[in-house]
Amino acid sequence: MITPTGLYRARDTPLHHAPAWVKVLLLLAATVAVIMLDDPVSSLGIMAACLLLLLSTQPPARTTAVAMAGTLVVAALSASIHLWRGDWWRAVDVTADLVAVVALALAVAASTSMTAMLDFVSLMARPLRAILPPETLGLMFAMMLRALPEVAEIYLESRQAARARGFDRNIRAIVYPTTTRTVGFALDLGQAIHARGIGEEGDQVDSDAGGSRVSRRARRSRRSGNAHDVAAA
Amino acid sequence: MIEFKDAGVTAPDTGVTILKPTSLTLTERRISVIGANGGGKSTLVRMINGLIPATTGSVEVDGLDVARKGPQVRRKVGFLFTDPSAQLIMPTGVEDVMLSLRRTIKDKDERTRAALDALDEMGLGDRADVAVGSLSGGQRQLLALAGVLAVTPSILVADEPTTLLDLRWRAHVGALLRSLPVQLIEVTHDLDSAARAERTIVIDDGSVAFDGDPTEAVRFYRDLMFGRTTRTPSP
Repeated sequence: MITPTGLYRARDTPLHHAPAWVKVLLLLAATVAVIMLDDPVSSLGIMAACLLLLLSTQPPARTTAVAMAGTLVVAALSASIHLWRGDWWRAVDVTADLVAVVALALAVAASTSMTAMLDFVSLMARPLRAILPPETLGLMFAMMLRALPEVAEIYLESRQAARARGFDRNIRAIVYPTTTRTVGFALDLGQAIHARGIGEEGDQVDSDAGGSRVSRRARRSRRSGNAHDVAAA
Repeated sequence: MIEFKDAGVTAPDTGVTILKPTSLTLTERRISVIGANGGGKSTLVRMINGLIPATTGSVEVDGLDVARKGPQVRRKVGFLFTDPSAQLIMPTGVEDVMLSLRRTIKDKDERTRAALDALDEMGLGDRADVAVGSLSGGQRQLLALAGVLAVTPSILVADEPTTLLDLRWRAHVGALLRSLPVQLIEVTHDLDSAARAERTIVIDDGSVAFDGDPTEAVRFYRDLMFGRTTRTPSP
């Protein structure tokens, strides 16, 4: 299963070293810029820059090629509508905009680990801490991305099972098992998170001074090999 | 030490008894739990870290009541599931182990090093940055184990950890589990593996049907399954 969430590879490139917030800000700025600019030359320039940025992250070739091929298909369809209306200026502009944004998004995905993204989401969620702990929101984000390929796989398996029983055209034969297995996966994932003690009371993640105190104690314990102290910390 | 004090589980909505009140004291380093599907094995071991709460009686781990001190108990008790796919949350191995370590190691570089060390110990050092979905079933189970052991639990509960693995991985993961310096409670259908424990508990129809010597327990279980014996619950 190929997904953009599996794009990240640890590399030694400038984008890999850049903080997640810088990359997300760059992505937002580029998206706003290509929408605002109604000029194919500028759009082509931004597209070239974004493609170079993507290449600079040395992304996995196959996954990137699949993602870009899909984008090019959509861009070609969109451009053909504008060309049919005789507006080649707009066709070039739209195509370049789409490729630029997707290339930059892939560059961010290829250079940002899930841990860094989780920290970023937690940071952004701090103003909402009265409603929901930032770490919980970050964890929800990670779980959502983790669930995507699993749900896709469950769907494919359900479809194959339906086909094997001769129910190719029966939507219920695909939807019911997909739904029940997805719920089962969610329950299993919930139990696993519970079992690992993630997000439980006292689970201080990159937060306050208390966290540092906890961390120092834990580090000391790890060095001295005292398992009970680490557990208590 | 794990203590079940008349601990039982009844489904709140249907009133069906899943595990009858059970009293056990588990002190041995290697304990295997065997029994037919649906007998209550998983319920029993899930009560150890509070994944399934006791509806009657109580369970204590090193003197801590699981119902009241759940988070503290879960720091002592690691849990390995049958299907590692549901246990792995992050997209790559190193990130998943790092997630386990977030509670104990705040410094990111140190956390990364600790996660890589944990993966190295499992022989997954070269798979640290590989997408979880690209790993084999055995590698995923090792990764799940690395995530559990990274926080140095003193007890490991493994619920059929080798059921989904092929013969080679089954032998590898089984040997690895037995070599760990923790108290291991393993639910298994692999009777050879069960017989290597120091103590074996046979669960049948929601209660302990046999508790004692592994070789005798396996013989009892075989006879029970093939109708060659009637149940005589152990004291």
